[in-house]
Amino acid sequence: MTVNMEMFKQFAEMLPRLGDNAQPPQMTDAERVSTAKETFIRKLNGRMAIDLESCIHCGHCASACHYFVGTDDPKYVPIRKLDLLKRVYRRELSPLRWLHRLYTHDITVKELQECQELVYDSCTECGRCSMVCPMGINIAGMVNVMRQGMANAGMIPAELMAMEQEQGGHESLFGVGPEQMKGAIMKLQESGLDIPLDKEKADILITTSVIDILLFTDGLIATARIMNHLGLDWTLRSDGYEAANFGLLSGYERVQKAASERIIAAANACGAKTVIIPECGHAYPSMRWEAANEHGGPLPFEVLAISEFLGREVKSGRLKLNALGRSRKVTFHDPCKLARHSGTIEEPRWVLDALGVDFREVESSKELNWCCGGGAGVFLINSAADLRQKAFQIKINQVEKTGADSVVTACGSCRLNFLNGAMRSGWDKGIESLVELVAEALPEQQPTTH
Amino acid sequence: MTLLDFARGPALEWALIIFVAGSLWRLVGAWLVRREADLSAPRSESTAAGGVRTVFSRFWPRKEFQSKTVYAWVLAYVMHIGLAIVVFLFTPHILFIEGLLGISWPGVSNDFVMFAGAVTIASMVALLVRRLTTPYLKAISNVDDYISWLLTLLPVVTGMMAYAHIGGPYPTVLALHILSVDLMLVWFPFGKLFHAILWVPSRAQLGAAMQRRGVKA
Repeated sequence: MTVNMEMFKQFAEMLPRLGDNAQPPQMTDAERVSTAKETFIRKLNGRMAIDLESCIHCGHCASACHYFVGTDDPKYVPIRKLDLLKRVYRRELSPLRWLHRLYTHDITVKELQECQELVYDSCTECGRCSMVCPMGINIAGMVNVMRQGMANAGMIPAELMAMEQEQGGHESLFGVGPEQMKGAIMKLQESGLDIPLDKEKADILITTSVIDILLFTDGLIATARIMNHLGLDWTLRSDGYEAANFGLLSGYERVQKAASERIIAAANACGAKTVIIPECGHAYPSMRWEAANEHGGPLPFEVLAISEFLGREVKSGRLKLNALGRSRKVTFHDPCKLARHSGTIEEPRWVLDALGVDFREVESSKELNWCCGGGAGVFLINSAADLRQKAFQIKINQVEKTGADSVVTACGSCRLNFLNGAMRSGWDKGIESLVELVAEALPEQQPTTH
Repeated sequence: MTLLDFARGPALEWALIIFVAGSLWRLVGAWLVRREADLSAPRSESTAAGGVRTVFSRFWPRKEFQSKTVYAWVLAYVMHIGLAIVVFLFTPHILFIEGLLGISWPGVSNDFVMFAGAVTIASMVALLVRRLTTPYLKAISNVDDYISWLLTLLPVVTGMMAYAHIGGPYPTVLALHILSVDLMLVWFPFGKLFHAILWVPSRAQLGAAMQRRGVKA
């Protein structure tokens, strides 16, 4: 299956206008600074305190960052992105704050503005920097705190602000709300595909994302076919389908929690024991790791990424696949949020093994894989376009070395960035989705009926 | 009271008090900043094992990072091992520690200690030159980096001067050596020298957190 490139081009052309609908909050400079600081102080915890105390300024994190390596610009050294957070910590929370206040000046609105590029345009929170740090500092986790402070102060890129405001205000993304989603599903149903929508009771709640509805429809179709092939009791719910979480990407906690709560409520309403997240990198940690803490208690269901689910089904022998053949030379791009942040590392490889393709591992892979450069919403930020492309060149080099004809991934955001990066640089490798490959290899092509 | 009496008397006592109290204050103070339980379902329960593994695994970069970091790693090892030899294997230092804590161990030859001291100084100079000439390192450096560098270097240099009887009367150079150690002890809890303590909890907490998510850090 391939992506409709005309549709993709239309989508890409829409991106420069994405921020037009953003409505920046009216705040004074003093309010912005105090709001950002209040958020920093509220979100900083003991682990972060130890991390902020620990940095020895060795700069090794630079060697792991795709933006620094892609540009060689000192401003992109990962630990620098935490300068303001560190200052607030030192002045307000640190055990030596009485001393630090003597010579550390308070943060200013100008510094927050300058910092916007560092925590949004040039950090995908991929976390690769933590894997090289000799002190083990979790920089990505604290960049997220920076984003939360900046978001509350209304100092985020217009594109992410518009998306976050749309998801928070209208429960939609790119104009796709529950009604549009239902319309899209009904069209697929009319074409003969069995997609159980809004079932009252189901063992499994499948979530999707606006990208799958608008652009990667084949991914949604593939998921439905696989679930039906396995004869599972599943449903899509129009009251909790959107896995993408722009509250997490922008750093705006209220929208992040609301987006998670919609899925939790939908899963509880149908008694789901499992919630499956589509090929969407950030959506997985959002539900898998963040949602319970926002919710205030453990989730009463298991959360699985679709690639993780497929790997388990293959490993258990429940899902048998036709071999696609060794003539298919493929490599795999580990999405940072699924692999390095979430341990979904071996499962996609079990699937690729079952697909019988000629699989070629990239040089630095699994939990050490290079980010594609578009995660954490960076793909949508127009001012980051050139920087993103420089980082993407690392991916091109990485994939080229394998000799593979195509790169498979399990994240819609990575896929968008790959498509865009390939289009911009005239790169001719195939860019494929894991779930679509599985659907292609199902022994029975006809979906079963529930 | 001579300068030497002052250096190894009240100055050393106060330096040790500040060293111990300041270190405890900084470590406990950072540790006590609000901590919350993670309510998400763990992928792996063996977080303690993950923490311990990362404490040890970060002694050397993984092969994916070696090409760009190995030079600094080797220099840092040379410096730290050299310092350890000078501080803990020089017989007069062992006697001093025995007087202070009541424990002792065999030393090594003085010539070997002097060689280690020279290598330590050379590696520290190389690290400083690297910091001053590498744009991205300059960008993340602050006054703490240079003070910590100086206060680590001074005891080594003055110690070697005292041993070699150069730079002035022996009691004066020895006093300067001990005073430089006093200064280093006073600075220890306040600057980046404190990483000598923090490397354990900071590595361990990353390893444990990533193990919880099923990732080997």
